[in-house]
Amino acid sequence: MTTPVADAIRHLDAAAPTDARAVSRRRRIAIGAMLVAIAVLVGVAGATTPSFLTFDNLLVVIRNASITGIVALGMSFVTISGNLFALSAEELAILAACVFAWLMHAGFGLAPSLGATLLMTAAGGAVQGAIIAVGADPIITTLAFGALFRGLASLVTGNQNIELGSRAAVWIGTGRPLGVPTQSWAFILLTLAAWFALDRTRFGRQVVLTGANRAAAAASGLRVGQAALVGVTLLGIGCGLVGISAASQFGLAAANLFGGLDIDVVAAILVGGIALAGGQGSPIQAALGATFIALMQNFMLLHDLSTGVRMVVVGCLVAAATCAFHVMQQRRA
Amino acid sequence: MSRRAALRDLGVRAAFMLAVYLAFAWRLPSYYSVNGIAALLDGAVLTGLVAAGIGATMLAGEFDLSVGSLAAVAGVIAIKLFGLGLVPAIVVATAASAAFGALQGLVIGVLGINSLVFTIGTLIGLRGVALIVAQQNTVTVPIDQLADTDAISLRLLGVFSPLSLILLAVLVLVGLFLGYTRWGREIYAIGGGRNEARAAGVPLLRPIVIAFTLSAGLAGLAGALLSMRSGSASPLGFDTVLLAAVTTCLIGGIALSGGRGNVLGIAVGLFTLRFFITGVASLGAPYWLQNLATGGLLILVIAVQLLPGLLRRAGTQPSAA
Repeated sequence: MTTPVADAIRHLDAAAPTDARAVSRRRRIAIGAMLVAIAVLVGVAGATTPSFLTFDNLLVVIRNASITGIVALGMSFVTISGNLFALSAEELAILAACVFAWLMHAGFGLAPSLGATLLMTAAGGAVQGAIIAVGADPIITTLAFGALFRGLASLVTGNQNIELGSRAAVWIGTGRPLGVPTQSWAFILLTLAAWFALDRTRFGRQVVLTGANRAAAAASGLRVGQAALVGVTLLGIGCGLVGISAASQFGLAAANLFGGLDIDVVAAILVGGIALAGGQGSPIQAALGATFIALMQNFMLLHDLSTGVRMVVVGCLVAAATCAFHVMQQRRA
Repeated sequence: MSRRAALRDLGVRAAFMLAVYLAFAWRLPSYYSVNGIAALLDGAVLTGLVAAGIGATMLAGEFDLSVGSLAAVAGVIAIKLFGLGLVPAIVVATAASAAFGALQGLVIGVLGINSLVFTIGTLIGLRGVALIVAQQNTVTVPIDQLADTDAISLRLLGVFSPLSLILLAVLVLVGLFLGYTRWGREIYAIGGGRNEARAAGVPLLRPIVIAFTLSAGLAGLAGALLSMRSGSASPLGFDTVLLAAVTTCLIGGIALSGGRGNVLGIAVGLFTLRFFITGVASLGAPYWLQNLATGGLLILVIAVQLLPGLLRRAGTQPSAA
């Protein structure tokens, strides 16, 4: 019999030097592969699809990649901390859009509406994070909260479109400082911030260690619950930003916005090569994965593939990526 | 858990079910009329069948998120095959679903992959398949043959219909299979302690394949039956049944970690949920509010299950130095 503490120290000692190298190698391979895949996809799409490289279409792709990407950045914290996925991201973004639209419609003004909506989504994330932190299953918990958020969105809007009724927020959704959409500025800045937070801060190390070996992290005095709590809260804020930008872009919100965002984000994490077991990966991988998925969705759309075919492709991609990374992981172990 | 503790646990859950029933029966006469009870039973069929299936995967320590999409595929297939006759169409759709489930179980079992994540992939892929097979539209039984589907809504023995009798039969059969057959006990064994079970010589692959075949087959049966009853199937249908079925299983005491719970518990969970949702609906709530209510109930159940662990931890926590 060994004590948990001795066990943990042994684990950390044994794992540290070799693992660090293997992890950074895996990450370099994943990022390299993602960049190549994106380049190939852009090349193929550009060569075979005349409408792909038009200014208008690229604007659509970049904006969609940014929306999926902002949520995927938040999700990468959840996955890396060892909590798989939150299946309530789409629903929380919908609720954010509806609450923001309702507040604007009611005449609360731009700044209070923005603040209140972001506060609400951060709280929505924190509540889920707290429940997961004390040991609930992340996927089942977020499934329940997803139903709650979607129901609340219907409640806020009376299950109808709700218009902002003010042009104050238009810039948030459609502005293009220096030619780049606001969402993409946010995506780029948040990617850098997320990378810094995970790779260069104490909190980031804590997230990675918790994901890599929860028991060892707990025994070494880390607060393992904190990783889940902060991770899901960050995801909630990402959902809030995305919801606000969509409501601002269209000038209205409804409970049926964002079809398929949850799935695209899960696909982005998996395709980006972030380990499902936790403890490995970087928000950069999530960002590249999201870009790839958005490009692919756009490519399929331009080729007139039906919703059904597109869903089958993304579903197969998720299942195949799950299997492939699992097998690779086992071979190394 | 000892047999006695398990019985007491079930007793507490049944008392809770009764309390929910009485709370609504107080205000709703339909809760004790013959027609009302028949409607309650019919309303439980979809969730009940799906819950019996995912209950089996939960007992094995796995999970199947794809059941809602699969029910939609089976519904579309059954309606499309209506020319074969009512029963053959349902049988074919159910068998196709079960075959898919066996394949899914095989992949999960052989690769030893996380089923929660793998079935996110099939959850979305199967929805796509439903859309493709239905060509993006709701499919319907031809109007001139619609009378042929009436058999499914007959009233038998007072409060029963063919649908609710099928539900009861499935619950009894699945309960007997899981509780009293070798293959059923294997599902409990790998869910309760996978390493110990393997060390004791329990095969891993067979119970996993059986559990996923059950969950897919029963989801398919539910999708086919319910689509036949309404004479139409939407490729986007059955999107909320997963939530209801998980809630049913958790209220009924099926542990997410595997190996604990039984079909009697699922039945208690099913009627607790149905008494609650039917009551909320009878008081005039629109459909999306019912889903909100289910989500809220599930959150409550998750929180209640966490309580004992939290209290224990609070009790043993050394005070900060």
